[in-house]
Amino acid sequence: MFPAILIEDLTKDYPVGFWRRRHYRALDRLSLSIEAGEVFGFLGPNGAGKTTTLKLLMQLIFPTSGRAEILGRPIGHVDARRRIGYLPENPYFYDYLTAEELLTYFAQLLDVPTAARRKRVAGLLDRVGIGRERRFQLRKFSKGMIQRVGIAQALLNEPDVLFLDEPMSGLDPLGRRDVRSLILELRDQGRTVFFSSHILADAEALCGRVAVVAGGRLAAEGRLSELAEFTARGWELVVANLAPEALERLRPLATRVTEIGTGRYTLELPLTQAPERIIPEIASTGATVVSMNPVRETLEDFFIQRITEAGTGARGAMAEGEHARR
Amino acid sequence: MRAVRHIALNVFRESIRDRVPYNLVLFAVLLIGSSFLLAQLTAGQDVKIIKDLSLAAASIFGLFIAIFIGIGLVSKEVERRSIYSLLAKPISRPQFIAGKYAGLVLTLAVNVAVMTVAMYAVLGYLTWIESPDFKASWEAPGPDPALLKAMFLIFIELMLVTALALFFSTFSSPLLSAALTFGLYVAGNFNTELRNFEHVVDSPAAAWGARVLYHVLPDLSAFDVKTQVVHGFPVAAGYLWSTAAYGAAYIAALLLAAMYIFSRRDFK
Amino acid sequence: MIKVLAACGCLAAAVTLQVWRDGAFPRRHPDIARLLYVRSPAAVGRLALGFDALAADLYWIRAIQHYGGDRLNRDQPRRYELLYPLLDLTTSLDPYFNIAYRFGAIFLSEAYPGGPGRPDHAVALLRKGISAQPRKWQYYHDIAFVHYWSLRDPVTAAGWFRRGAEQPDAPNWLMPVAAAMLTQGSDRVSARFLWHQIRDADQPWLRGRAQHALRQLDALDDIDHLDAIVASQPRPAEEPFSWSWLVRLRALRVVPVDPAGAPYELDPATGRVTVAKASPLFPLPQLMVPIR
Ligand SMILES: Nc1ncnc2c1ncn2[C@@H]1O[C@H](COP(=O)(O)OP(=O)(O)O)[C@@H](O)[C@H]1O
Ligand SMILES: [Mg+2]
Repeated sequence: MFPAILIEDLTKDYPVGFWRRRHYRALDRLSLSIEAGEVFGFLGPNGAGKTTTLKLLMQLIFPTSGRAEILGRPIGHVDARRRIGYLPENPYFYDYLTAEELLTYFAQLLDVPTAARRKRVAGLLDRVGIGRERRFQLRKFSKGMIQRVGIAQALLNEPDVLFLDEPMSGLDPLGRRDVRSLILELRDQGRTVFFSSHILADAEALCGRVAVVAGGRLAAEGRLSELAEFTARGWELVVANLAPEALERLRPLATRVTEIGTGRYTLELPLTQAPERIIPEIASTGATVVSMNPVRETLEDFFIQRITEAGTGARGAMAEGEHARR
Repeated sequence: MRAVRHIALNVFRESIRDRVPYNLVLFAVLLIGSSFLLAQLTAGQDVKIIKDLSLAAASIFGLFIAIFIGIGLVSKEVERRSIYSLLAKPISRPQFIAGKYAGLVLTLAVNVAVMTVAMYAVLGYLTWIESPDFKASWEAPGPDPALLKAMFLIFIELMLVTALALFFSTFSSPLLSAALTFGLYVAGNFNTELRNFEHVVDSPAAAWGARVLYHVLPDLSAFDVKTQVVHGFPVAAGYLWSTAAYGAAYIAALLLAAMYIFSRRDFK
Repeated sequence: MIKVLAACGCLAAAVTLQVWRDGAFPRRHPDIARLLYVRSPAAVGRLALGFDALAADLYWIRAIQHYGGDRLNRDQPRRYELLYPLLDLTTSLDPYFNIAYRFGAIFLSEAYPGGPGRPDHAVALLRKGISAQPRKWQYYHDIAFVHYWSLRDPVTAAGWFRRGAEQPDAPNWLMPVAAAMLTQGSDRVSARFLWHQIRDADQPWLRGRAQHALRQLDALDDIDHLDAIVASQPRPAEEPFSWSWLVRLRALRVVPVDPAGAPYELDPATGRVTVAKASPLFPLPQLMVPIR
């Protein structure tokens, strides 16, 4: 079996400067292999080269060098596009069409049979939460609503492989939750999802595997739980109505205690203190647990650490790229 | 092929929802308004003037549609990035160009057809109300079928201008494309003067240069048979079809070049 | 790459069609090319929407092309019938378009086939010029010239020369010319003098025209001379008049040619000398035939 997406040494130089043509390397020899049925997170800070990669895979731009395959066929093959869906970053559609018309138009281009078309369009709009507004022209849509329409259009052909560029951007919390559950649903149907994000939490909630890019280079790849940088360092517990004597009993277990308000405290616990044991203890004192979160390195911490610890890291790649010529 | 059709129909829908209807209403108002005014002012020549006016207006209004919508067709999609989601669908870039072009040609066809009907309606009305003495002074009948020949060539000319606009917009900014298209439209209409250069200049180099330009620039002046038709002179069928075939070959060259350029382009 | 080749092929096909069509249906059909869409200067002025001067330039170019095209066109009858309307439009759009008036003066009055032979139009155009710029002595001079050269009316010509001489900046030779007109109306000396003045003007295309007229004047002198030679010889008995007869008598060494290089013609019956019909100088101006 071939991987759903195979990327080999993909490189993209953008020409910059008007008179003196120089090249700016936005993507540097990226190689990735994504298995069918996987939800793959493509992470990296702004300007890392995520959108560039997705545009290369969609053949909206052409690589300087390297190659890629989708479903075992070289990219650019028109037939391969029948089986993929793509949500561009900050999508934009036609002002003069209604959401319904746009999806119908795209469904026609995708050769969705006439009989199924109407039902599928209506179903998808329901699924992404566009209600009566589907009869409005898209110029009257807010950014978040456009994003939802964008997700719907990517699903029109029931794609085997789905490419989503920052699918959560512009969405309200409810929308984010919807998209998360949608992606998991697609995974359960056996589809491959490749999505980019600069927010680690999105990846944690969804992904089997992730790749992290910075400065156009692959910085890390693997299961999130296996990536040492991202494993939890401890727990953060917020409790209310904590009696003073109970606090004294908990204090030795915690690495740090901060008072937020009367009877409300933040307790930082080391990884060795399993929360399963502590929480019943707290509950028995009559206090309530407000929230509990793992404490771990954020994506941003990760980049900062990576960039500073290795001078040849991401920054180096960028500087090198600037001088690169075709 | 089906993809081309769907893209074309979408272009047609966009233009119908956009500017074209205003354009047609303006044409009709201009035509009807001026015909009533002229009927008061001129002695019998109002039919000639209406013919002049409608043919000129069909050509100029069509020109605006061809240039402005023609340039927007591609550059607007690229600029607003709506092309991203479109090209991820199973359509090739040449199909995209072909569909966009076909859609605008469809729009122009409807436009020209409506204008033709309006022109014949006004001409028919004027012929009906005019006294026989006036009619005797006309060089050609009022609702003259020969006007269709002029409209036909205007339509082919507009198709050519659209292809020009599309071609330029595949590689230059909308403003530059508009300037280039309009410039070529003007130059193409002065083509006969270029051809006559040979008779007036002495320098063989200048004459040769003019000759080359005459062949390379779109020969738009050939599409103008307005004067002949209005004055009731014959226009040979062979002239019509050879000029139309010329237009078709030129359009094919432009579209192929546009597809070639567009297929290699990065969308940033 | 295939697309590029195909595009070139299509363009080649287009050019082939264009060439074929131009051969099969010559576009400058005399009846059709000669229709001026709008003939009324007032209407054109309104249509030009403030670009009057530019429109004037365009009409000027068309006038030159029309004139040049008709002059060089040997296959179809030349008619020049748009020359006056075009110049009229040009000067209405831009009343200070000096060259257009002067061009009109010389070429509108030129006899067919070199021009339309309409001295009346030339005078009308120049009068328009005078109403725009009454102090321009050149216009008076040109009207006088048309009267003298084309209308063979030295008396009216003298009047216009005098009016020209009264304008500021007028050259001092205008007054003597006016006087010469009245005394010796058919004098080639005056004609030569005036053409020399025109030849020395700063317009190259006027210079060509003056050169031509000066050669015609030379031809007239030659003809007088040759006529005298023919008359001085005894009339041949049975033989018709011919150059070989004169050469045999050693009255001439060779067959005489006119200043343009074409042999003169000798009428076999009457013995009168003329320029050949094929000569560029044909026809000679009638002016120099004595008026009184
Ligand atoms: N058209 C372009 N021309 C020049 N540089 C570009 C262009 N598009 C993107 N870049 C540069 O390439 C890098 C990667 O951009 P992008 O792929 O959009 O990043 P991301 O999507 O990860 O935020 C950025 O530094 C950006 O400035
Ligand atoms: Mg991005």
